[in-house]
Amino acid sequence: MDFNFSDEQVQLGDAIGRWADKAYTFERRTGIVQSGGFSKEAYQEMAELGLTGLVTSADFDGMDMGATECMIALEKIGSALVLEPIAHTWVASLVLQNMASDALQTAWLPKLASGEAFVALATTEKRARYRLDACAATASNNTITGVKHVVVGAAQADALLVNAMQGGSQALYLVDAKATGVRIESYTTQDGASAADVYFDNASATLVTANGLEAVQLMRDVGIAYLCAEGVGIMEKTLAMTVDYMNTRKQFGIEIAKFQALRHRAADVKMALELARSMSYYATLKLEAPAPERTVAMARAKVQLGNSMRFVGQQCVQLHGGIGVTDEYAVSHYFKRLTQMEMSCGDTMHHLGEVSKHMQDSAGVFA
Amino acid sequence: MDLAFTPEEQAFRQEVRTWVEANLPKDLAAKVHGAQRLSRDDMQGWAKILGKKGWLGYGWPTQFGGPGWSAIQKHLFEEECAMAGAPRIIPFGPVMVAPVIMAFGNDEQQKRFLPGIASGDVWWSQGYSEPGAGSDLASVKTTAVREGDHYIVNGQKTWTTLGQFGDWIFCLVRTDNSGKPQTGVSFLLIDMKSPGVSVRPIKLLDGECEVNEVWFDNVKVPANNLVGEENKGWNYAKYLLAHERTNIADVNRAKRELERLKRIAKAEGVYDDHRFRDQIALLEVDIVALEMMVLRVLSAETSGKSSLDIAGLLKIRGSEIQQRYAELMMLAAGPSSLPFIAEAMEAGWQGDAALGLTQFPGGDTSNAPLASTYFNMRKTTIYGGSNEVQRNIVAQTVFG
Repeated sequence: MDFNFSDEQVQLGDAIGRWADKAYTFERRTGIVQSGGFSKEAYQEMAELGLTGLVTSADFDGMDMGATECMIALEKIGSALVLEPIAHTWVASLVLQNMASDALQTAWLPKLASGEAFVALATTEKRARYRLDACAATASNNTITGVKHVVVGAAQADALLVNAMQGGSQALYLVDAKATGVRIESYTTQDGASAADVYFDNASATLVTANGLEAVQLMRDVGIAYLCAEGVGIMEKTLAMTVDYMNTRKQFGIEIAKFQALRHRAADVKMALELARSMSYYATLKLEAPAPERTVAMARAKVQLGNSMRFVGQQCVQLHGGIGVTDEYAVSHYFKRLTQMEMSCGDTMHHLGEVSKHMQDSAGVFA
Repeated sequence: MDLAFTPEEQAFRQEVRTWVEANLPKDLAAKVHGAQRLSRDDMQGWAKILGKKGWLGYGWPTQFGGPGWSAIQKHLFEEECAMAGAPRIIPFGPVMVAPVIMAFGNDEQQKRFLPGIASGDVWWSQGYSEPGAGSDLASVKTTAVREGDHYIVNGQKTWTTLGQFGDWIFCLVRTDNSGKPQTGVSFLLIDMKSPGVSVRPIKLLDGECEVNEVWFDNVKVPANNLVGEENKGWNYAKYLLAHERTNIADVNRAKRELERLKRIAKAEGVYDDHRFRDQIALLEVDIVALEMMVLRVLSAETSGKSSLDIAGLLKIRGSEIQQRYAELMMLAAGPSSLPFIAEAMEAGWQGDAALGLTQFPGGDTSNAPLASTYFNMRKTTIYGGSNEVQRNIVAQTVFG
């Protein structure tokens, strides 16, 4: 048991942290939000850092790195509130690498790794909410019909990974974003990122795997581990901004950081952050576990993250006072992103239900 | 990064498990699993079994006769003992005063006191809190005045846990009033059989006498019972508080009690009630998160590579979780937890002929301790530095 990072891992984190601090400033981010919430230039900068191919095997020009490296990278990316969904690229790459045909892998993995192409994850439907076994989209003769909801980066995608019912069970498909029968209605989400509802009307599709449920479960589980890491990065920065503010803002003639009521609240925020970090480590390390254990572990992690993200976001706005609810000041944007993440990959109540359903007589980190 | 224990650590866990299975008396484990009342003999009996094996001072280095285990080995030992239903090691001797004697005591003191602690023969108590010194511990008023080869001790300690069983007590006493409160405190070891020492049990809200007042009336204490230097006691006390930081979270016990909570919820028919069950699920998540936080601290301690500023969080979270499982157990039994028959907390209670009771009115006698445990657990966020004091300490690390 060892939670230390290797020197190489620390260097990776430092390199990404430098880029995030210097290149992805809050001013730049504000500009990106105003122009639609997805900057291809910023995405290319991440590609140049090697991030787009972080999890892709070396056979397909990737870096072949593991979940720990992803966690380290996402904490830094989270701290700068990066809008471009790099973690979705990793989810897409992993599901293709694990489940797709050689031909599909050869066609897509190198392009994804280089950043030349982007593949969006179109697996959420409005009525299904967070259930993976509910899917109304249908597939027949390699065409898909249905609607996917709040698909991040759909308008910038070259292709979409789409789950659909094929003869009574789910299958996963790859659909060209420019194919006939694909209509993308895009908008920005509360956090300023680009998303869309995507309508498929007999759109031509390529089968990725007939084990669709297994695929969306893998995507969900990996997605949760990534989300946890990003959430930790965001919360850490949110607390740091709050501490800085409290150390300078004066009321009643003294810095508000000196008031015990506020200090105790900040201690509670630190608690929420460190519990979340502990469960982010847990999620990352449990990605290697067999599927049923992995899924329960991710549900536990998402419950903790959901509770922590809500508490940290709300309380850090409160500790700022009025400036915390302005659009101009960064903390409100961190709060909005944290709020949105609670509703990604299944919310807290959904996952508490999953934990509850799968409870065993004994429980712990190793059970 | 790696979550798995090494093969050596796993073999160690197995060794401990096998030994505990063979040596922990079954009736004692049953009492612990059922939260029934433990006698002095129950507690000290287990201490002596551990002592004979050389494991009572399980955190001790080899130079003082301890096993010299790593932080992770200590954790595994604690976990195996807790899950098997071993009574908690009463910490005042082996976990609290012994490390202070090792670090600051002289050779003679080490030879005189450590063997009795290691074997479990001598029961130690802690003389810290006073009526006017709770969270503000540095303001202790019990005085020790030097007269020749002795100190004359006068004053009162309180909240002395299990002090009614104590042979010896380590005390923070005031030896100087001239400077800041912290600078005039000394660390003194006192034989509780000395003339002038009196112990009065305090009945608590659960009906039990777990804590005591200890009075000192012109008690003559040999000067060579002073640990370290006069007026440096506050430093030693802080050293003691910094020692064994992870165990205070008591996560292993929480894992055992979570199992018990599920058994009670099933027996009482609320395990299938979603509203109730989700509360257990949330507690389960919180216990896993606490365990991960403990493991992070252990990893940092073992590698010495990084220091973590989160140890202060462990006491806050651990104590909150103790209170929550106790609360849920009581609520699971509901009205069945309300009949108060103190004797029913004894193992093997067979009803009360005088009251005309042939059975515990709350159903199985396993329901008898549920409310009492809940009431008892309210102490956890108060003792060991109240959680509000802990938040002050955490805030200090947050704001710098």
